[in-house]
Amino acid sequence: MDVLLFGIIAERAGSASISVEAVSIQELQQELITRIPGMQALSYTVAVDRIAVYEDRVLRGTEEIAILPPFAGG
Amino acid sequence: MSTTTEHRKRDIFVEGAIPPSFVAESVAKHATRTDIGAHEIFLGQVRSDAIVGADDRPTVTTVSAIEYTAYRDMANEQMIAIREEAFARWPEMTCLHVHHSQGVVKAGELCFMVFASASHRQQAREAVAYVTDEVKKRLPIFGKEILSDTTHVWKRNL
Repeated sequence: MDVLLFGIIAERAGSASISVEAVSIQELQQELITRIPGMQALSYTVAVDRIAVYEDRVLRGTEEIAILPPFAGG
Repeated sequence: MSTTTEHRKRDIFVEGAIPPSFVAESVAKHATRTDIGAHEIFLGQVRSDAIVGADDRPTVTTVSAIEYTAYRDMANEQMIAIREEAFARWPEMTCLHVHHSQGVVKAGELCFMVFASASHRQQAREAVAYVTDEVKKRLPIFGKEILSDTTHVWKRNL
């Protein structure tokens, strides 16, 4: 699945999206730590279909997944 | 400007700074709504914060601009939810307009506008305070603070 990246995380990854194979959010997070430099030290929220998700869950691969660093609007 | 109560779904993002003239024009558009007795407006302006020793730099630099990016689809969906909460909570509110910049906004320029109108001031005031806070908390908007030495740091709301 293509995972959307924003802000400092997109900067670290050098891309606005990353292709990841993961069957759960936990697996996705592990994959991001492996693939994106300094990811472990960054705080972020996972959004599934544009809703923030704070617990692990199964991913079917059809969802719109985004990794959101701290918000800075306003 | 619609003459009905506004629950319109739309994109809140504008490219670059919000011109002060846009604020005046927004007020002017409500002249035909003679049921309105109060407008309340919050304007966010980019502040030239001093950044001391960020990223191990020993010198003091200042913020010269913020480059905003957003997860637009999610931000607009969150805005619809916030708008509906506000209209439910302050039923005397007749209009609510929210705009946020994306792209580069220089220090001293406007990046955020929340504009509510109501028959009386209390509802407009409370709604603007609520919507402003919720936008800052809930909308996935990201800010790259571009510093006077051309480096940058990533802003985060407290």
